[in-house]
Amino acid sequence: MNPSQATWWRQARSDLDVLRLLRRNAVAPCHQLHYLQMAGEKIAKAYFWRTGAPPAKKHAGLVSFLKALGGTGGSRQALVAATFEFREFKQFQTWIRHVSPRAYDLEKLAPALAGDGPNPEYPWPHDAPVEYPAGYRFDLWKWLGESGSGRQFSKVVEIAVDRFPIYA
Amino acid sequence: MAVVQFDRDSKAKWYAYQHLKVDPGARTVYYLPADAPDREIRLLEVNTLIADMTDESLEPLDYGVDVGAEEEHKLLVLDVTPRQWEAISRGEIPLPKGWALEGAIAFNRRRGQ
Repeated sequence: MNPSQATWWRQARSDLDVLRLLRRNAVAPCHQLHYLQMAGEKIAKAYFWRTGAPPAKKHAGLVSFLKALGGTGGSRQALVAATFEFREFKQFQTWIRHVSPRAYDLEKLAPALAGDGPNPEYPWPHDAPVEYPAGYRFDLWKWLGESGSGRQFSKVVEIAVDRFPIYA
Repeated sequence: MAVVQFDRDSKAKWYAYQHLKVDPGARTVYYLPADAPDREIRLLEVNTLIADMTDESLEPLDYGVDVGAEEEHKLLVLDVTPRQWEAISRGEIPLPKGWALEGAIAFNRRRGQ
């Protein structure tokens, strides 16, 4: 891990700490989604700093990170699969394909990508606000909490942060 | 470090199919070898699930694969929406500096993927 990666990783860990704090206190889903999205984005940035150069501002997010892990080649495949608690790398790839649409949904919660729609931070629509994040039922939240694959997705994001030094 | 042979075209094909395999948003992956350095793989991926931004400055993401290994190379991926791809094809949005569509090789999802 190079120093730039370490810097982003430390911030991702702090975001994850906040997420865990919010979860323990059953704080409104919008705030938990916000910190899940930020932890995912920051661990992705930490990963892409592995070249030693700043990653592209756009698309250096969770989906690209998962795609990069899913495209791991050669001897590193076993390490990556084991780190994320999958028996085989192919299973990990299949899982990434399965959850990617939801990873896109999480990525698009960032206000810059959410357009004038649901996001975890600001009321919308901008010109005539009628909805607010703390009072909104996010489909993504339902999936994260009420499905096995959703819970597994949260777990993998947490593993990605907690075990970053292993696969960075 | 020993310099080993690097088969860029095969590697590009492998990455393209891996990305089509794991990313349901990737519709077509174009490998753009024109003018690329020997150990640089440039992929343009037309993606139906990324947010359609109005900002048209396109910047590829360096995947940073095999850093420090014998087969060290660059994998640069440029994700674009179908709308952006249409505009690129018409020459209305420029590709990143040094990139070109000449000799592009398209990879699509294999049956069953």
